[in-house]
Amino acid sequence: MNWKQWLFGRRELTLALACVAVAVFFQFLSPYFLTADNLTTILRNSVELLLVSLGITFVLATAGIDIAVGGALGICAIFVGWSVQGGWPLAVVVLIGPLIGTGLGLVSATLIVQGKIPPIIATLGLFGVYRAAIFLLLGGSWISGLPDTLGPVVNTTIAGIPLTAIYILFFYFLGWVVIRWVPLGIAIRATGGNERAARLSGISIGGTKFFVYGFTGLLVGFAAFLYVARYRNVETSTGGLIALDAIVASVLGGTSVLGGKANLLGTMFGVLLVRLLQNGFVLIGVPSLWEQVITGALLIGVLILDAWAERRSPNYTRWLATR
Amino acid sequence: MRRKNRWSACFSAGLMLFTAGIGLAQSKPKVAFVPQIVGIPYFNAMEGGGKDAAEKFGVEFVYTGPTDTNPAEQLRIVNGLIDQGVSAVSLSVLDASSIDPVMKKAKEKGVKIFTSDSDAPKSEREVYVAQALDQDLGYTIIDELAKRIGEQGTIGIVSGEATATNLNTWIGFMQQRAKEKYPKITLLQPQFAGGTAQRAFQLATDLMTAHPDLKGLIAVASTTCPGVAQAIESAGKIGKVIGTGYGSPNTVRAYLKSGAFGFSVLWNPRDLGYLTVWVGKQLIDGKPFAESNTVPGLDQPVKYDAATKVLLLGPPTVFTKENVDQYKF
Repeated sequence: MNWKQWLFGRRELTLALACVAVAVFFQFLSPYFLTADNLTTILRNSVELLLVSLGITFVLATAGIDIAVGGALGICAIFVGWSVQGGWPLAVVVLIGPLIGTGLGLVSATLIVQGKIPPIIATLGLFGVYRAAIFLLLGGSWISGLPDTLGPVVNTTIAGIPLTAIYILFFYFLGWVVIRWVPLGIAIRATGGNERAARLSGISIGGTKFFVYGFTGLLVGFAAFLYVARYRNVETSTGGLIALDAIVASVLGGTSVLGGKANLLGTMFGVLLVRLLQNGFVLIGVPSLWEQVITGALLIGVLILDAWAERRSPNYTRWLATR
Repeated sequence: MRRKNRWSACFSAGLMLFTAGIGLAQSKPKVAFVPQIVGIPYFNAMEGGGKDAAEKFGVEFVYTGPTDTNPAEQLRIVNGLIDQGVSAVSLSVLDASSIDPVMKKAKEKGVKIFTSDSDAPKSEREVYVAQALDQDLGYTIIDELAKRIGEQGTIGIVSGEATATNLNTWIGFMQQRAKEKYPKITLLQPQFAGGTAQRAFQLATDLMTAHPDLKGLIAVASTTCPGVAQAIESAGKIGKVIGTGYGSPNTVRAYLKSGAFGFSVLWNPRDLGYLTVWVGKQLIDGKPFAESNTVPGLDQPVKYDAATKVLLLGPPTVFTKENVDQYKF
């Protein structure tokens, strides 16, 4: 294994380097970029997206997709908001989001597995339904000015490590164990790689899909909880198009939309890169619209490179080895 | 099919009797207002104002509208009102391009039709009841902010969608005002947050990082107000950075009280609804509008521009910590 293989064969490493390069670039243009405060801000702003992207990575690995996560996040946030307003016990407030989220995820899975509807159509339909449901539940007004009872849950640090970072690490570790060390992980990748072959080898395709959409729902529900804890507000557009950002981050991270591959560390760095760009552009005084252009271009560029590498793949490693 | 027909015949006969009954019971002229959507606080406030005015001026107020912002549904409702024989009907226009047939129909039936809150300037409407001029909204926010930061410093702008015409118009007037009247104020390029509080929060935080001497942050879209205010609170910049925006009192109340928002600018939809019904009554009575009109129950005189047929509610209302509790929308 030479250095090129080592470097470019591992997406998370390439992305980490890209993050560093982007950071150096922005630091060059704005003295406020590489400050502890700003870096903390970037990490804090990544929390919800990190959680949702983890779920999306699992879904993509089964060759599925979930567009509905934004709508589901909004619905969960409404219930979390109400429970805070109602002054319910903390345990209920923490659990209600993940519970409803998991439920909504299972609805997606039911449509996809039992209804045999392609995931993109099923979740697109649900997204519309959820959006409308948000309007109906909120009656056009927002939940705003919530009391800061959840503040400690997001702002506490333990031995200098923010509690939110611990949540993230916990869920990613859990994801890593599942995908790497548990038969379910093999089932997930096999389902995405070749569904028919997986079925013939005795893997429960339906069960696997129920797990990934349910798990995504759980993460979305928890993200909704953190959203409400931090912004103390639930607006009708909560969640918005977070699905798209999550797909971008996952694909940048080396997870294939065609299924069969999942790269959790890559997803982490993908989210970080997206947020670094969003932050840096504001800091150097460029209208934030440009950040979308860059993210889009980056995504397309990475996919073209992937396709190129794929096409050459039988000879690719040999080609690299001869260098 | 036949069965269904019979039922619908029964139903429509019943409906006719019902409406006829209402018609007999009430001899007061009816003024209707059709909002863009029912069940949201903003239009609920307009409805409340309309009811007050109806009581005061001796008319019956009819308030009905679509359950989502659907232009076709809105036109259907306006059509229905004309058929029911209201004397005047007003609407907050959803689609200015498809309104002409219904305007024509109203004229033929002798029903006064006019717009309120949202206009169709090229149509045959009798008059448009405007809440506030875009120019006033843009200027007021800069003037109020300038007063509070001593007419100098850097101000950031966080808007919603980059495509929203009204928001961009307001930003244009802000920039114009700052340039003409406050040379020592620098307005930063507007940043666009789309619709979520999360992104507004992110942008506001980043603007404060990029400009440690930032004096003010303007949340242009009402959806960006909570995010911007939260960002000021989280950054511990209350008092150093003054937040403001076009947010309704219910949206910004908590932030005005915490100090993250110094003030908020909007019109009072209750007064707008009140004025709308008064206008309906004037039109029914065939009374012309003067250049300046005194409306019983409203504090300020209402200006009328005969060339554009626009009645203006007045300057925008500035909501502060002190007065915000008087408003419930």
